[in-house]
Amino acid sequence: MPGRNLPQLYRFCVLITGDGAKAQEVFQDTVREAAFHSANGEPPPDRYWFFREARWRCHALAEKEAKPEEMAHRTADLAPKAKEQIERLEPNQLASWISAAPEPQRSAMALYYLNQFSYREIMAILEIKLSVLAQALDLGRREFQAWLDTTVPAE
Amino acid sequence: MRKGLRTLAACAPVDHDLAKERRMRTAIARAKNSDAFAAQQNFDRAITKLVRATDVPPTIAEWFANEKLAEGTKRSIFRTVFHPAILATAFALAVIAVIAWLKFDEQVHAFPGLSVAKHLLAQASTTRIVDLPPVQAEAGAMGDFFLMKHRLNHYDVPEEFAQFLTTGARVYDDDEAGRVGQIAVSEKRMQYFLFPARRDSKSGQPEEFSGWRTLEQDGWSGAVRSKNGVIFMAVLRGPEKELAPYLKVPPSH
Repeated sequence: MPGRNLPQLYRFCVLITGDGAKAQEVFQDTVREAAFHSANGEPPPDRYWFFREARWRCHALAEKEAKPEEMAHRTADLAPKAKEQIERLEPNQLASWISAAPEPQRSAMALYYLNQFSYREIMAILEIKLSVLAQALDLGRREFQAWLDTTVPAE
Repeated sequence: MRKGLRTLAACAPVDHDLAKERRMRTAIARAKNSDAFAAQQNFDRAITKLVRATDVPPTIAEWFANEKLAEGTKRSIFRTVFHPAILATAFALAVIAVIAWLKFDEQVHAFPGLSVAKHLLAQASTTRIVDLPPVQAEAGAMGDFFLMKHRLNHYDVPEEFAQFLTTGARVYDDDEAGRVGQIAVSEKRMQYFLFPARRDSKSGQPEEFSGWRTLEQDGWSGAVRSKNGVIFMAVLRGPEKELAPYLKVPPSH
């Protein structure tokens, strides 16, 4: 998708970190690193490189901070009015929720909802199997639906 | 729906243009009529829309000028060819090809009695021709000489080498070759060897081959032919090509 990679990279950073300032830092460091490699005659081979690099930078950033306590999330079947519930959310609420998810669910959801990569590309970027990806997305949807029901109940 | 397709449907893209693979398109087509899949797609579409609504601050938008960088670069053919992994693979394939060729070449040159021929070729290189009992005759007549004097039947010199004059000849027993007739001729200081062909262990018949075969070892060359259970080998010092003019029919390789 020519011309869409860097905006999507920034959104990816926002979804993974859940914080605009951190996303900005990771985004800029990643592009700077790519420029450095290019200047040394070894430019990034493809767009996936940016997402892999940004992902590891986000992880490194998260390692430095206190980890939130892992809780068992409730799940719920996708509601017919989920669309209306989601429309009442702000993008940063979604980012906060995704960034709090465990790996690989967090990265899988972030890449998937960019709506830019096929499932094979996501598998390649995250180096996971199809079953793991499918489970991460399925569980992520149902957990997010349960959270929606609590945060923005259907009217 | 089968489990595999159900798994794929869980990863079905919101934008169906991303479903380039046939299996994914099949999974979507199968799941299309189910309520659960419709709910999933509505849910995913709404979240995708929310993600797209994420604000991009102007300080970040300035960096989008580097978009070309993110499209990736194609590795040039030169860089690809000289990549260490490619070089190592090419080298390994070359070694395998050389070994395979040597094995193939060895098989092509192989003939019954090859090991004995090599053994006698080594003997030829250490033989002092002047030490052979002198016999002066036409090489073609040596068949009668071996038959009359040593009772060796079919120890005949082929017509390609029959016209040369002999300088010496002897018959001796060799551990590997059996009863060997050795002839020295004046032409290029060649030596002829005649020895019994190996016999098949089951049928007892001599293992023969058709036409001339050549071999080379330590700077010496031999042209070998089998007939009537006896193998004839003409030997000279030098490369195989020096024997070629004497052979009416070129060696069979």
